[in-house]
Amino acid sequence: MQTKKRPITPARIIIYALLIVGSMIMAYPLLYAVLGSLCNIEDFLASPILPMPRHLYLENYTVMVTASFPIFLWVKNTLVRIIWYITIPGIVAVLGGYVFARLRFRGREAIFTYLLSSMMLPGIVFWIPTYIMLARWPGAGGNNWLGQGGSGFVNQWPALLIPGLVNVYYIFLMRQTFYSIPEDFEEAARIDGANTMQIMWYVYLPMLKPTITVMVLFQAVSIWNDYQWPLIVSGGNPDIHTVALGVQRALLAGASLKGWPPGTAITDYPFSFALATVASLPTILLFLWLQDYFVEGVQGFALKG
Amino acid sequence: MTATASLPRARAPRKRKLSGIRQRETREAWIILTPILLYFSIFFLFPVISNFYISFTRWNGISGAPQWIGFKNYLQYLKPPYTLIISNTLLFAVFTLVFQTALAFLIAVLLNQKVKGRGIFRALFYIPTLTSAAITAQVAFAFISPYDGVLNEILKMFGHDIVVWTINANWMRLFIIVYSIWRGVGGPVVLFLAALQGIHREIYEAAMVDGASGKDLLWHITVPLLKPMIIFVLITGMIGSFQIFEAVLLMSKGGPQNKTNVMLLQIYNDAFVNTNMGLASAGSMVMAILLLGFSITNMRIMSRGQVIRD
Repeated sequence: MQTKKRPITPARIIIYALLIVGSMIMAYPLLYAVLGSLCNIEDFLASPILPMPRHLYLENYTVMVTASFPIFLWVKNTLVRIIWYITIPGIVAVLGGYVFARLRFRGREAIFTYLLSSMMLPGIVFWIPTYIMLARWPGAGGNNWLGQGGSGFVNQWPALLIPGLVNVYYIFLMRQTFYSIPEDFEEAARIDGANTMQIMWYVYLPMLKPTITVMVLFQAVSIWNDYQWPLIVSGGNPDIHTVALGVQRALLAGASLKGWPPGTAITDYPFSFALATVASLPTILLFLWLQDYFVEGVQGFALKG
Repeated sequence: MTATASLPRARAPRKRKLSGIRQRETREAWIILTPILLYFSIFFLFPVISNFYISFTRWNGISGAPQWIGFKNYLQYLKPPYTLIISNTLLFAVFTLVFQTALAFLIAVLLNQKVKGRGIFRALFYIPTLTSAAITAQVAFAFISPYDGVLNEILKMFGHDIVVWTINANWMRLFIIVYSIWRGVGGPVVLFLAALQGIHREIYEAAMVDGASGKDLLWHITVPLLKPMIIFVLITGMIGSFQIFEAVLLMSKGGPQNKTNVMLLQIYNDAFVNTNMGLASAGSMVMAILLLGFSITNMRIMSRGQVIRD
């Protein structure tokens, strides 16, 4: 008779030891920041290796509300972008995936290759000309009809919403998902007299749900963390800062100040760590809640191939 | 005779119906594709072509017209400090990639040994990947503060002198690489673990019956079977780590004396700080060319997936 319990062998002890040490190293900076954010400055300075709050100190968080720190503005701005960048690229991906997986027409493969080819270039190749294009947009932001004289859409909302609406990776992912659905469902619905819109809505959408969920999660995380593009096009306008940019700038500004606008100029690490925690926690909680979808998404096309 | 005459007639409506389907599908495809392709041409094709053109010009991107100067911008990339910047980028990318991939492989093999709490371990390794590179880099910068940073406290604990990270190029390089590995190891762990779980136990059991040792199993079964995944991780990892940006921008600003400067940061500075759009565009073209081999292989892997599906 075999018991299910595994014997404790030296090998297994080593495995667990390595894993525990490894994951402790991974968690250490996060733990440091979270514990630090719960300290007042004296407690924080008292234990340099790992801050230990002697009693629960929440003022670093409550001060964000009471001092009307702009974190809520940044969160709102980021949420606007997240909703926008889920909706439009999502619709494009579902429809595009359908077109390339299901519809037969001349030039299908050539067009798909054309779209796919964009993934071969690093993002910076588009950023510079796209920035110039937005800055020189005729009639926008004080520009004349030749695009001269003003700053165009730079430091304005459209710059944060225009690029990246056709996401080829998601079109690819959707197409793969459509391939995995038998065509019989669509044919049966057509015989019953359904048109394409009805088929998309009633037949396919429910079956695409897992892939859509993966897409929504990855898009939410990547827009929440998006830094490079907002830095380039919105660095000069604090009203449209997103979380990543706003918090990074606040941490940089002397990692400093509990009041807003800046008052005293002491390095206030606990408050900085509270800001970083607020900025990082949403994506981590989302992951812990829906871990399986994330894992599936990471595997994305690595395993589907 | 009637039979032969009726045959084409009977076929005709079916043929018309089929071409009716083709027509509908073509029409629907173009209704959906027209706006997509229009947008894509404005925000992909046009930028790429302009970028190529701008890279041969001198232009501030603000006023006036681009001025043709031939290959001058590209020649900058053959001279210091740009040669140093390219070699730094390669150094960061290769070191990060090699150690990150090896570590991720090791972690995944350990996690695959039927350990308890596998999901928790996996989550702990993956969580840094979910954080914003800008915010974690900015926090990491607080960790290396010379007088009150935690890393110097740890060094002091081991009896080492404190390090002024921002003026010591080698320590700074080491720190940037370690930070990059910390933030990037989670994705490969998840991928390797998934691939390992796809290997059937029977293969190992059969080999063990034949007297294979644990080392044999690793080198003659696990590694060969995981080869496609290893290649995928290395290629996407190379493309990713080559574009290192936030860590350098926020921790070292490329200093001291460009010793930690990388391509993306230099391109960013050329374009948006020095408003030298021509030089920056040339830099982005150099980057695209250096990554071309990896990008093409990546595309091949993707389209192979598609071929199998079909």
